[in-house]
Amino acid sequence: MNYVRELLKGNTDSLLLCLISRHPTYGYQIVKELEKRSNGYFQFKEGTLYPALHRLERAHLIEGKWQTLSNGQQRRYYYITERGRQVLATRLATWQDFSTAVSAVIQPEII
Amino acid sequence: MVNSISYYLNRFKASLKIDRTIRDGVAEELYTHLQDKSRELEKKGLSKEEAARIAIQSLGSPELIAQQIYETHAQGSWKEAFFSALPHFLVALLFASYYWQNVVCLSMILTLTVSIAIYGWHQGKPIWLFPWLGYYLMPVVVTGILLLNLPQGWGWIAALIYIPMALFAFIYIMRQTARRDWLYASLMLAPMPVIFGWFLTLGTGNEFLASDIWMARLQTKAPWIVISFIALAAATIGFIRLKPRRYKIISLSIPPLVILLLITLASRVNIDFWGCLILLFSLFAFATPVWIEARAQR
Repeated sequence: MNYVRELLKGNTDSLLLCLISRHPTYGYQIVKELEKRSNGYFQFKEGTLYPALHRLERAHLIEGKWQTLSNGQQRRYYYITERGRQVLATRLATWQDFSTAVSAVIQPEII
Repeated sequence: MVNSISYYLNRFKASLKIDRTIRDGVAEELYTHLQDKSRELEKKGLSKEEAARIAIQSLGSPELIAQQIYETHAQGSWKEAFFSALPHFLVALLFASYYWQNVVCLSMILTLTVSIAIYGWHQGKPIWLFPWLGYYLMPVVVTGILLLNLPQGWGWIAALIYIPMALFAFIYIMRQTARRDWLYASLMLAPMPVIFGWFLTLGTGNEFLASDIWMARLQTKAPWIVISFIALAAATIGFIRLKPRRYKIISLSIPPLVILLLITLASRVNIDFWGCLILLFSLFAFATPVWIEARAQR
């Protein structure tokens, strides 16, 4: 379990960037989306989400904008920036290479 | 539900010492998150109280979130760090180049400091402002010291009129600064004990009026003055760049106190009653915010 947590911690930024790049979204929706897309595998600690979002915003990878809903409630939607898209593309490429290399090493040998 | 969520958000806000607009924004985000989650749990059949309790539990400790948000926002950029340390570097440069004797140069630096401090104050008090603000306060305090050296009788009269006015200005700026963060008040006042340390060890009372003695001493001590202000600049850069609050406190509190101790030990000058009082006041003003913060953290 700790290993999964460490893996998730190391890839939080990429996962968040990936979700936000699909469509502008807000904190609670991100948690739900992450859980849904991973079939419940990623149980994101909700409290750690906001510091991560603010860290990405400080790095100019995403941008938060307040929006007023029809019921008058305020929500902060996050949008990916151009710089965020570039960083995401690099990270995804690195992840693909890494994943391919790990799979190649750990797959059983064919005799 | 409202009570437990409000209590949670108040705990969060009390633990987060950053710009008020950012703090309130994050609190609002947490509030909508808690509302969304509670609403969803209520739809599943839970009572309002139970739903709010679980939503709060899922978010986790408000103090921990506050600490992580603080670490995200508290680290200034290298540009901010350099600009914050710039007034200390300017003072060091002034003494390194011996331009401190040049009235035009001194006036230019003073005007620059005051202008930048006023500009920063009206630009939402960015983090780089506070060291500049510390120097902005210096002329106010130095005028007070000069007034004490007026001929017998006049000093007291001037002090009685001047001290309440100066204290009012001083406390007003301190309060405005501390409202943002207690540590910024200490950052602002960090040069004060060092400047007073040098000021008082170079000569007191009549010696100050006999400016030749004072100037000669200043001349010989100039390299050490330069070093002490470079050390202050380094401490300021450390304060701006470090993320955890406790490291910020260490980086801010230790250098000025060590510098002051070294100045006092090295100069071997007997400081008179007024000198001791001023020095103690500056130390008290500098250390109180850090002490309050350390107590709050415990």
